[in-house]
Amino acid sequence: MNDSDQVRGRDNGAALILAIGFVLLIGAITAGLASLVTSGIYNRINLEQVRDRQYAAEGAIELAIASARSVLDSASGCTVDTDASTSTQLNDNDIRVDWTNACRVVRSADGLVLIQRNLVFTACVDLARRCAEADTIVRAQVNFQQGSTGAVTKTYIQSWSVTG
Amino acid sequence: MREHRDRGETLIEIILTVVITTITVTALVSSLATAGTAGQAQRSSVTADGVMRNYAEAVKAAGRTCTSGGVYAVRFTPPAGFTVSSVPLTLRCPPPASPLVLTLAVEGPSSFDQTMQIVVRTP
Repeated sequence: MNDSDQVRGRDNGAALILAIGFVLLIGAITAGLASLVTSGIYNRINLEQVRDRQYAAEGAIELAIASARSVLDSASGCTVDTDASTSTQLNDNDIRVDWTNACRVVRSADGLVLIQRNLVFTACVDLARRCAEADTIVRAQVNFQQGSTGAVTKTYIQSWSVTG
Repeated sequence: MREHRDRGETLIEIILTVVITTITVTALVSSLATAGTAGQAQRSSVTADGVMRNYAEAVKAAGRTCTSGGVYAVRFTPPAGFTVSSVPLTLRCPPPASPLVLTLAVEGPSSFDQTMQIVVRTP
């Protein structure tokens, strides 16, 4: 066996090893692409679910404001108990809205005593318990303007924060 | 004698290598094409999501101008290739005690159509 035979013997199978290496490289690239596509689809679905939940929470608060309005239509003073909760299904999400009475009596610059009939609405996914801070999706403070007859004439959104 | 055997092995190796390489390159091109298609679909879907959000905000903004018994006008022009609609198709302001639940729909150039419910209330 001369030197040329030895070199040829060592080269045997080199092309196959290179091909296998190539297969592994292409396999890794393909796996990376598949992972990229999968995570993109997952992110899109997740984004859509968050959007639907957020709009469901906002819608549930709008419905709760209308319910509270009918309660406040015949109320006078700040002592009326308006703490309550409603449950609504929108966009395939069960949303709970808790209302809290935030009524205040203030004195205007000309000495008049005015009632600020405000309610705070907190919306979260319905877990059959009061909305916890960490679960809150939307929180809103709404002022209910009353006319001389006591009926609510208009509502004003004083604050509206989307937290989740 | 050995050189004679080596010639045959090299030819088989080369043929096998060419076959493997062809298969892997085909797989790579196919996966790149799939990734490209998926990217386009995702872009269409995200655009449809943006159109849906903008449309929903336009409807809600129009609803905030409502007066009892009045009508509201939605000012929204969808981008080219997209159409928007709402069910029920009404522009009449709902009574203050009965907010309106609307189902909005966005149809785009791809098959990623979207629907979403919102609530319009007379303040």
